[in-house]
Amino acid sequence: MKRRVQPIDAAKASRWAQRLSTRVGKILAAHPDADPDNVRHTLILLEQPPLERLQRSLIRGRATAIFRK
Amino acid sequence: MVVGLSAATLQGAPVVTQDVDLWFENLGELKISRALQEVGAAYVPPSNFNPPMLAGAGAELFDIVLRMDGLKSFAEEIKNCVDVPLGRQKLKVLSLERILASKIAANRAKDKLTIPVLRDALAAMQTLKRRAKKK
Repeated sequence: MKRRVQPIDAAKASRWAQRLSTRVGKILAAHPDADPDNVRHTLILLEQPPLERLQRSLIRGRATAIFRK
Repeated sequence: MVVGLSAATLQGAPVVTQDVDLWFENLGELKISRALQEVGAAYVPPSNFNPPMLAGAGAELFDIVLRMDGLKSFAEEIKNCVDVPLGRQKLKVLSLERILASKIAANRAKDKLTIPVLRDALAAMQTLKRRAKKK
């Protein structure tokens, strides 16, 4: 089933990215050894419901396994 | 209880997994066989080279775990599990701290790859929790 994608305008996308960057910066200030990419991806995933996170993880994990065969 | 990387991803860690690992205290429970029947699956006890498994279309994504490296007993670990909302249900999920502890203890090549990611995700979540508490 194809999901309907909500359109986002450039200004809104930019504000979201700016907020995300600020939050990543605050976490890195508390944990300087953390990888910024891991922190950023975690924050993005936390915006999704748990089942969506699991679904994405399984789709990618299973696709990788098939590719390896 | 959901354990392993599927448990980590349910909590927001950016990791990928191929299956959902389920840790049971007692595999002989009637509720388990009833639930499996409902999805057209069945429990297959361990044999020569096979661990205990679930078979059938409805159980393809699920694996059985009977013990977790570096962790206490099921009864001890479930006390500190996380309840993840899933529709009207709440799913018992091993906490990210304990998933990380089990991966460090298992120390297989594939675990070593996920340890830094789990550590960073945990750091991010702990910071967010601390900041939320302050507000």
